[in-house]
Amino acid sequence: MSDPVFSQLSTLGSSVVLIFGILLLWRRSVSAYVNSFRWQSMILAGILVMIGYFGHDTELYLVALVLFILKGLVLPHYLERMRIRLGVTREVDPYVNNATSLIVAGLLVMFAYVLTRPLLLITSLPTRGGIPLAVGLIFVGLFVILSRKKALTQIIGFLVLENGIVLLAAIGTYGIPLIVEMGVFLDVVMGFLVMQVLVYHIQGTFESIDVDQLNQLKH
Amino acid sequence: MTFFFLLLPPVLAALLAFFVRPYRTFVGWVNAALGLVSLAAALSFAANDIALGMPLASTLQNAPTWGVVIDSLGLVEFLRADSLSALLLVCVSGVGLLTLLLSPGLWRESDYTLPQLRRYQIFMNLFIAAMLLAVSANNVGLMWIAIEATTIFSAFIIPLKVSKASVEASWKYILICSVGIALAFAGTIFAYFDFVTLSGRAENALNWTVLLQTAPNLHPEVIQLAFVFLLVGYGTKAGLAPMHTWLPDAYSEAPAPFATMSGLLIAVALYAILRWKVVVDTALGTGYTNNLLFGLGLLSLVIAAFSMVLSKNYKRLLAYSSIEHTGLTCLGLALGPLGTFAALLHLINHSLAKSMLFPLSERILHRYDTTEISKVSGLLKVMPWTAGFFAVGILALIGLPPFGIFISEFALIRAGFDGGHPWLMGIVLALLAVAFVALLNVLNRMLYGKPPYGVAVGEVNRWQIGLLSLSVVGLVILGLTLPAPLLMLLNQSVGIVSK
Repeated sequence: MSDPVFSQLSTLGSSVVLIFGILLLWRRSVSAYVNSFRWQSMILAGILVMIGYFGHDTELYLVALVLFILKGLVLPHYLERMRIRLGVTREVDPYVNNATSLIVAGLLVMFAYVLTRPLLLITSLPTRGGIPLAVGLIFVGLFVILSRKKALTQIIGFLVLENGIVLLAAIGTYGIPLIVEMGVFLDVVMGFLVMQVLVYHIQGTFESIDVDQLNQLKH
Repeated sequence: MTFFFLLLPPVLAALLAFFVRPYRTFVGWVNAALGLVSLAAALSFAANDIALGMPLASTLQNAPTWGVVIDSLGLVEFLRADSLSALLLVCVSGVGLLTLLLSPGLWRESDYTLPQLRRYQIFMNLFIAAMLLAVSANNVGLMWIAIEATTIFSAFIIPLKVSKASVEASWKYILICSVGIALAFAGTIFAYFDFVTLSGRAENALNWTVLLQTAPNLHPEVIQLAFVFLLVGYGTKAGLAPMHTWLPDAYSEAPAPFATMSGLLIAVALYAILRWKVVVDTALGTGYTNNLLFGLGLLSLVIAAFSMVLSKNYKRLLAYSSIEHTGLTCLGLALGPLGTFAALLHLINHSLAKSMLFPLSERILHRYDTTEISKVSGLLKVMPWTAGFFAVGILALIGLPPFGIFISEFALIRAGFDGGHPWLMGIVLALLAVAFVALLNVLNRMLYGKPPYGVAVGEVNRWQIGLLSLSVVGLVILGLTLPAPLLMLLNQSVGIVSK
């Protein structure tokens, strides 16, 4: 059937999603981060629709719709509002500079390929090419959280990591059971809410959202 | 039906707290009463499991009678309460009830504002509900959702009073735990991926019982990868080193009720690891998971023991002691059926001990207005009852008889020697001795000496002490004898997890 097309499309889509994740390490302005996340989520929703179409699974359309509304429209909107209210513009001085970060990202993706080898060996899914890319995106999200200083960037890093997991579930298993998927969305929303509240608290008590000041608590 | 009585009361309690605005005292009391309903439901589960007898081979057959089936969503055996779940359900709802009774705002004196009390009541009850759901969910995906929800709800409780320290603690907490738990979800997906590759997609494939049936055919390499992710993920939540860094901060800055419940949070996270361990063991044999658990457990013990020596803050000291006991429990889980028995008993004992020590430390903090050990002295003169109970708690914690922890640690070490790990147990004993000295030293400093100038003498809120004596009674009972129903429940749980 159209398996080769499906296979190529899913690998291409996964690569694009990964690249939007790596953009976070490349760019410095926080509004670019928000945009990367917005586009990444929209493309991810597209991938879900595609898998739903080729894999004959109508549930995925619903998941894609929720994802599109939530992560493509609502969360970016609130992120943008937070950015403006907090007056953050740039990730000035990250723990790891951008050039090194990009190299690390490359290494992380290679590591993801090594790690997922056993998975690729046992499956014949047309979408299997995307699995290492999804795991790579999870690692990149993790690295963004570890290497960047603004609390807002860390939130976006976390959301990107979450996108990596959604991509992994979609590519590897054509979507986890619907009830679980919806529960995960609920957790993302609530997690985002509490992080948002905390960022405002950080701003209120520390007068900036650089997390390197959060070092009061010791022995 | 019983599940409704279990899970609905805390949700109702949260709703009540949400709608009654501003906070009124009766809300706290009604919510505590609702907590009692939950506890009754949990106890009835436990009683039924005991009545069903040993479910060694028959777990799978018995489970459906206990499962809730929601036909319209195609969910089979959505929730279940086998012996292992029932054991934790009783712990969670029991300590939950104690926490609700000790809540600020229930009695007259409280230094929280009304909006803070309202927020506390909402999120504490949701926190309890999420933990109950995590333990009774048969679907491992649902279990994950509930555990992630515990992180979120508790992150609202930690910064109840906004200060630099509490904000820092809760930011670290939410970030580290969310990331950790996300990795656990990736692990869940890896396992599901393996299942799908083997037998196609199925709506109930994430059910623990179904996973367990498929487990012998799962691919070893994939399931190994999945378990590493799961262990790191849930291990973060359980406070296993090296993912423990959020724990001392969160425990020391959060209001006492959070810290009280956190002993249970550790238990719930370890429960998730244990459930997965069973699946992975069925696929791979026990060696793989045991080695990982040995490694992380020992590392936690080492880091915790030496951090306790260095700690200058008594709340952090108690937090490190939690990490120590998590490590110990992990070792127990890796020591076969005997060790698992000891580990489960240890979880109960540790929850009991911590359920009294954290409220007591809050009382001390309230009076001395400092968490620094060096600035607290003469506790015995200032608050004789608090001091006495604190001493009892610490003595129980370091594993002296006649308290329960002595029995469970003894059983655990014996399981280690029987299992052929004399060296490991030697190291464990040495580390326990380090913790022993650290805790005794601190106790000695805090109890005796001259009270600092300006610290008022005399007890307030004596009812708290009265409630905490329940924990002491529990610890002593578990130290002297193992009640038959509990023994049965523990044996059944061990039967479920070691096939």
